[in-house]
Amino acid sequence: MQDKPLVEVKKLQKNYGDTQVLKEIDGTVMPGQVICVIGPSGSGKSTFLRCLNMLEKPTAGQVLFEGKDTSKFSDEELTVLRERMGMVFQSFNLFPNLTVLDNLKLAPIRVKKMSDKDAEEEARSLLKRVGLEEKANVYPSSLSGGQAQRVAIARALAMDPEMLLFDEPTSALDPEMVGEVLAVMKELAEDGMTMVVVTHEMGFAREVANEVWFMADGYILEKNEPNELFNHPQNPRAQDFISKIIGN
Amino acid sequence: MKVKGRNILLTIMTLCLSLLFLFTIQPTHHTAYAADDSLQKIKDRGTIIMATSPDYPPYEFQVSKNGKSRIVGMDVDIMKQVAKDLGVKLEIKSMSYDSVLVAVETGKADVAMSGINPTAKRRQSVDFSEIYYNGGQSFLINKTDIGKYKNKAALAHKKIGAQTGTLQYNLAKSKIPGATVKGMDKNTDLVLALKTHKIDALGIETPSAEAYVKNDHDLAMIKSGYKLNKNETGSAMAFRKGSGTLAAAVNKSIDKIKAKHLTTQYLADAGKYMKVNTNNTSMIHYWNYFAKGIEYTLLISAISVIFGVLLGTILALMRFSKSKLLKAISVAYVEFVRGTPLMVQVMFVYFGVGIIVNLPALLSGIIAVSLNSGAYVEEIIRGGINSVDKGQTEASASLGLAKSDTMRFVVLPQALKNIWPALGNEFVSLVKESSIVSIIGVTDLIYQLNIVRADTYRGVMPVFIAMCIYFVMTFILTRVLNYFEGRMKHAR
Ligand SMILES: Nc1ncnc2c1ncn2[C@@H]1O[C@H](COP(=O)(O)OP(=O)(O)OP(=O)(O)O)[C@@H](O)[C@H]1O
Ligand SMILES: [Mg+2]
Repeated sequence: MQDKPLVEVKKLQKNYGDTQVLKEIDGTVMPGQVICVIGPSGSGKSTFLRCLNMLEKPTAGQVLFEGKDTSKFSDEELTVLRERMGMVFQSFNLFPNLTVLDNLKLAPIRVKKMSDKDAEEEARSLLKRVGLEEKANVYPSSLSGGQAQRVAIARALAMDPEMLLFDEPTSALDPEMVGEVLAVMKELAEDGMTMVVVTHEMGFAREVANEVWFMADGYILEKNEPNELFNHPQNPRAQDFISKIIGN
Repeated sequence: MKVKGRNILLTIMTLCLSLLFLFTIQPTHHTAYAADDSLQKIKDRGTIIMATSPDYPPYEFQVSKNGKSRIVGMDVDIMKQVAKDLGVKLEIKSMSYDSVLVAVETGKADVAMSGINPTAKRRQSVDFSEIYYNGGQSFLINKTDIGKYKNKAALAHKKIGAQTGTLQYNLAKSKIPGATVKGMDKNTDLVLALKTHKIDALGIETPSAEAYVKNDHDLAMIKSGYKLNKNETGSAMAFRKGSGTLAAAVNKSIDKIKAKHLTTQYLADAGKYMKVNTNNTSMIHYWNYFAKGIEYTLLISAISVIFGVLLGTILALMRFSKSKLLKAISVAYVEFVRGTPLMVQVMFVYFGVGIIVNLPALLSGIIAVSLNSGAYVEEIIRGGINSVDKGQTEASASLGLAKSDTMRFVVLPQALKNIWPALGNEFVSLVKESSIVSIIGVTDLIYQLNIVRADTYRGVMPVFIAMCIYFVMTFILTRVLNYFEGRMKHAR
């Protein structure tokens, strides 16, 4: 593992109007690391993730990507940032007006200026990787939730990113489909992909994550390696939260 | 998405003021610079353009022969003689009576000739030729009322009808004590009102009254008994102000016509056409009129809906743009267009814009209807864009796609699919609303309907036919659109 951080977050703060959603967030993501973020609903996990790829502009503090302040990025630099940092959403957000194949091809062609032929080749091999090559020409509405999320992951991969952000990728899925998506994510982690994953799948976190961050009230209250954090949480809020999700 | 109300108001006001400026500056421009080239212009062009409202037999009306329709009547014959004397060809532009004077003022036509009385008020805005015919004033009444309304005095406190903007209208108002004067745009409508006893008498020029009485045995006429200055009651041709050379040349022809008593012959010829007409007043005989009307109505609606969608899309994108100026222009445009009647917009494009570039009536109609439709389509498209889930934009941004690409490949296609039914409705309503272009003489269904009514002296039947045609058109259109909507749903 290299020693230079890929992403550094320093005193990150985000307000929506008068409400402070992120109060003071600090953290470092090293290349190849998998970080799982857990915490109660409304604690600001999604907001934090969206500040990393600048879907939201931080109110104060900094997000450094390879040491450079992302809030000072030009439009071109922002495009490059998003090429290198993909995102997968809870509700998939596939484009319903395009076929599965075109969902994968759109960004490589428009952003990376890839030729149609190369983009198609790449897309088909990615679909194969997530086990959906036979779905290339269907529209997203005919996919099951698990299939849709695997396509969404393939779409993010089509930009050949170094890092992926996942915002609760399995919480909109029927339980029997969670496994297939987690399996794909696990494979990615094993291949060395840097990932920040908001999830409450403790099994996945234990198995794959290097670190788990517990978030509440706009702060990261505790960081530790997964088994330590799940078995011996120090912060009382974390203890309370973990006992609840284990109880479920 | 909010633009301050004050901003919009400001933009609209600037828009209005600059338009006002444009139009106030126009007349001075003409008196200051233009020498009288009115006659020379016509000779150079080789054509004299006459504006007329061909629903006023025997002055001017439309007849069909061998499936072809043309405008005939005393005015046309006189104008043919004038054109011959000038050594040029005659071109006739037909439009509503309200529009003919505006047409010469704005240079759409060289001469307006539609049985126009040269009143003092009109002389302020146009020049007139000598009076070429003085038919005198009469009233049309129902034959059953012949005993009741023997003369003008008997009409006191009654309901009198007259064409709006005509001498007859003003006379009825000022010279018949206690009369209620009801104005309508067309004599055909007024005759119908008379026959259904909505009015008691109809003020009309004697030759027209004679034509109606000859063609409709339920009608009778009485002399008006007005004491009038002859100069105000005859018919004259109107020219744009400052057309001295043209007026002089035309007056020479008129003198010749008067000396030879040619108008008697012209009226007799017009009467013959009217005879031909009344022999065949079944609606089937006029099917080609209605067919042509349908063709134009569909043409205007279809083209306008396409341009409306293009314009509406541009306006909607402007509305979503970062630039405050673009946003304000879009908001102002939509507010302005929605806040003014289509009819006014049609007249503005034809006559107003016509001062700068000379647009044919059909093109003006299409432009006005498209511009109007664009404002409404903008709202539909904006709704469609807002209806697309925010997650779509975010997913697209997270892939590094530019805002414009996101719009083009992700948001707009989905928005268009969502608003397809609303756009279909817009098309259907355009088919109905485009009927307004008939006022500038576009030969759409309404225009044809009025020709058929004037031609057949039948007030109701053509209206009924047109109503059925409109219904069938919109009904079929709705079915077709529903079919495609169903197929679009199927494809996903
Ligand atoms: N665009 C916004 N405008 C105003 N408030 C917002 C906006 N987005 C999020 N919030 C508020 O910020 C807080 C944190 O939201 P966020 O979605 O980051 O929480 P979360 O931890 O992801 O919750 P969940 O587990 O429910 O997804 C919430 O109270 C939410 O209402
Ligand atoms: Mg969330």
